[in-house]
Amino acid sequence: MSVTDVAVPRPLSHRLLIGLLIAVAVGLVLGHLAYQTAEVSLAGALLHLFSSSGVYVAAGQQTVYFGLGSARPLGLTMTPECTSAFLLVPLIVVGALLIGLRPRIAGRVVLSLGVAAVVLIVVNQVRILTMAALVGWLGTDRGYYWGHTMVGSVVSVFGGAIALVLFVWLATRQGRTG
Amino acid sequence: MNEGSVTVLLGFTQAIALTMSVAFLVYVYVIIVPYLRHKPAPPGDASGFDWHFLVPCRDEEAVIGDTVRYLRTTFPQAHVWVIDDDSEDRTAEVVGSLRRGHSAARNYLHLVQRRRPTARTGKGDALNAAYQELKAWVGRHAELHRQIVVVVDADGRPAPNCLAVCSGAALFGDERIGAVQIDVRMSNRGVAQSGRTGWRRWLGTMLVRMQDLEFRTAIAAIQKSRGYTGTISMGGNGQFARLSALDSIAGDAAQPWRGSLLEDFELGVHLLTEGWRTGFTMDTHVDQEGLYSLRRFLVQRTRWGQGTMQCARYVRRIWDSQHLSTLGAAEMLYYLAQPWLQLVGTIVYPIPIILLLAKAVADPAWVWHWFTGGAWILFAIYGSFWLLPFLAWGPIYQVKCLRSWNILRGLGMGFAYALYIYTFYITSWRALFRLVRGRNGWSKTFARSIVRSAAERRFSMGAIP
Repeated sequence: MSVTDVAVPRPLSHRLLIGLLIAVAVGLVLGHLAYQTAEVSLAGALLHLFSSSGVYVAAGQQTVYFGLGSARPLGLTMTPECTSAFLLVPLIVVGALLIGLRPRIAGRVVLSLGVAAVVLIVVNQVRILTMAALVGWLGTDRGYYWGHTMVGSVVSVFGGAIALVLFVWLATRQGRTG
Repeated sequence: MNEGSVTVLLGFTQAIALTMSVAFLVYVYVIIVPYLRHKPAPPGDASGFDWHFLVPCRDEEAVIGDTVRYLRTTFPQAHVWVIDDDSEDRTAEVVGSLRRGHSAARNYLHLVQRRRPTARTGKGDALNAAYQELKAWVGRHAELHRQIVVVVDADGRPAPNCLAVCSGAALFGDERIGAVQIDVRMSNRGVAQSGRTGWRRWLGTMLVRMQDLEFRTAIAAIQKSRGYTGTISMGGNGQFARLSALDSIAGDAAQPWRGSLLEDFELGVHLLTEGWRTGFTMDTHVDQEGLYSLRRFLVQRTRWGQGTMQCARYVRRIWDSQHLSTLGAAEMLYYLAQPWLQLVGTIVYPIPIILLLAKAVADPAWVWHWFTGGAWILFAIYGSFWLLPFLAWGPIYQVKCLRSWNILRGLGMGFAYALYIYTFYITSWRALFRLVRGRNGWSKTFARSIVRSAAERRFSMGAIP
């Protein structure tokens, strides 16, 4: 019963990985405009796939226009409040902390961060597509009203919950050896 | 600050707030499910163990007589070790007279007398003194894994079935289990404080009710879920430990309990990182007296918060341990992070509201249009995030603990519990200020003999079995 715990040394590669993750987190905060542009471009591409009406991405304004040529054109701007960039930051910071505390799980933490990031990005795209679908279905005012608040928030919460559960489960699964 | 910076700050704080809220919602869901599914386990044979109640006392003459009599009557096979931490009242005399009262009492009732300057230095030190005397008393050849030490407060009332329940196959019946924590209840729940009238009386009664609700629902659920992560922690009252487990962590100084303000949690950390398992059961309980005074309650919770902050020094030990799974270490990290997250929360949560108020002052028409244009739904959703994880415990307490289907009353208690929990935002800041100032000394909340009214004070000098 008396196994003495020995402090595990943190290898250089893990310290570099932690530094890289922190740099990514800082980069997301400082470069959020570029990230928002990428997000809105992706949304434009997806809307192209699912919509029969025109879609235009104004990358410089982080805005995607859809329903062009129809009776209900609308432009959505990706603001700092809507982007998934800032949702990734706390996960990356926690991931870096986990690697610092238990280096042997570094691979799994990176994997779990990747999966959680994909989920968060996909969820944000689903939110935009849902909004576009509701505008097409209920009209501009009512569709935006419900899509941007109620449905958007519910999608964000459930998506965030799925991302968190996946992150924790993937990073911590397996037995006592870590 | 220009508008762009404000928008970024708003987006960033909203994202942090959303992450923390969603994490907490998921956590509450995860702990509620096993709690609601709990089924009692079959009890074991208590005669397979020797039981030693350790009762730390500092100025407890008002209650110690009744407690000793209760313990000796309810558990005649158990030893009672009263630790007098250099009391300034007649605690030692009360115990001494009980020992003289009956021959059997002399064999089963022990007084551990401490004197200043080594006395009154904390509960951990008092328990260590009793541990050392107990070790000397049982001798070198005793079967230490059969000796069970039970820490009980001076007014504690362990339920009569507690020894049998703790002897069960999943608890001390399993030799890998080093310690067991039992459920805690408030003995004065539903009892109004005498000498108080009006709203103060109501507030005191409600405060005790909230403590009962907290221990029997949220804390029990957290402990129950820790069964899966292998990180069940110890409490200050109703704490059972195998003597061999205490031995393994006592070190050369023969001190299993350490010096932080959260010596019970600390004990659990040392046992878990030494390779022992810990157990928790809701099948039995210990009754203790809840605090009527809001001021004393805030003092107690500040001490707990500061103790949790102090235990941050164990983060490295927990994560380096080969005995704790990553999930277990993550759970303990989340627990230790709670007071720090509350500090972050008091900064992060109000920022969007402050920015909105500033906007409302500058452009009230826009804010009104925005609010009625759908933003009210956001308020409703985020408001429910703040409330639901706490509100849920009210009806659960009403149905599961009070066996009543008065859901409306349960919801009322849930609202009260949400308010009660938000006091932690105050106590976490107080704890931080004490930590920063290096004020680590506390006279623990030995409030019983102070808050108890004269009418409630009872002496028990009679003989005991």
